[in-house]
Amino acid sequence: MTFLKKLMEISGIHPERVRTRWVSSAEAVEFVHEVSEFAEDIKKLGPNPLKVKAREAA
Amino acid sequence: MSQKIKEYVQKLLTEGKIKGFLGLREENGHIMPHLFCDPKELDVLSLGDWKKSGDTRYPLNQLMIRLTMEYPEETFAVLVRGCDERGVKELFKWKQLAEDKVVLIGIGCPDKLAKACECEKPFPDSLIDGPQGTKAENEKVASIDKMDLQERFKFWEAEFNRCIKCLGCRNVCPMCFCNECSLEEDQLVGTGEVPPANPTFHLARAIHMVGRCIDCGLCEEACPADIPLRTLYKKVAEIISKEFGYKTGFSVDEKSPFNIIEVK
Repeated sequence: MTFLKKLMEISGIHPERVRTRWVSSAEAVEFVHEVSEFAEDIKKLGPNPLKVKAREAA
Repeated sequence: MSQKIKEYVQKLLTEGKIKGFLGLREENGHIMPHLFCDPKELDVLSLGDWKKSGDTRYPLNQLMIRLTMEYPEETFAVLVRGCDERGVKELFKWKQLAEDKVVLIGIGCPDKLAKACECEKPFPDSLIDGPQGTKAENEKVASIDKMDLQERFKFWEAEFNRCIKCLGCRNVCPMCFCNECSLEEDQLVGTGEVPPANPTFHLARAIHMVGRCIDCGLCEEACPADIPLRTLYKKVAEIISKEFGYKTGFSVDEKSPFNIIEVK
């Protein structure tokens, strides 16, 4: 993960677009929290530059 | 051509310590790889300096792997520069070459070449002839570090878009020894389109260069589209050295963080 994030950083993709968390199946609250937080953060970052390019091409 | 190296190899061959010496020869204005088995042949030995120092290089380590597969009992010597020696050390660890069957004949690179390569260590430990050059600064990587995320994205997008997927970077790579290659995996990199999935193709290769790329720069030399691959893999090596404290090809005992094969 450390490496992947750094690699994304070099290639100009925001490293926060990828995230790993360990949540047990018994921790529903924790899971919801993580996913909502990730969704919020991703919205703030805006559309993925790779996807934007694909849409423009289409 | 170096008298020192010629005499050194001559001695090894006549004493029967090695079966052959894998080096380069110059003939009719061309430099090509050659396996010297007879000490008398050594007059055509070349160090790959054609018009300028080190401008003709071949992935000799790649040939070395094939040679030792054919003749696993024999000992061979191979011509190495600083980068090639780092490669040999990694290949020992990846069990592609046997340490006791390989004799290294090292040549050092002049400062000018080291600077052009931005080489970290432009001379091998097994130095027999040539200068013991100094570490060169990493200016190309620094220029990418200066960019912000958007600029970097644009930069690499433009570079990778020139790719014609000739796979030359992989084919020339002395560290690409896998029988099956992820880059040919349809699920990962779709076939039938040029440029190949951008940036998946190049980043997949970059990930596979972890603990393998020894910064010889043959990929960039081979690339018909002039994609600055060396800069990309230099950056990969920098991450590995900063985050995991591993320097590719600098020791024979230390295992790469992404290698699951036991070292020794």
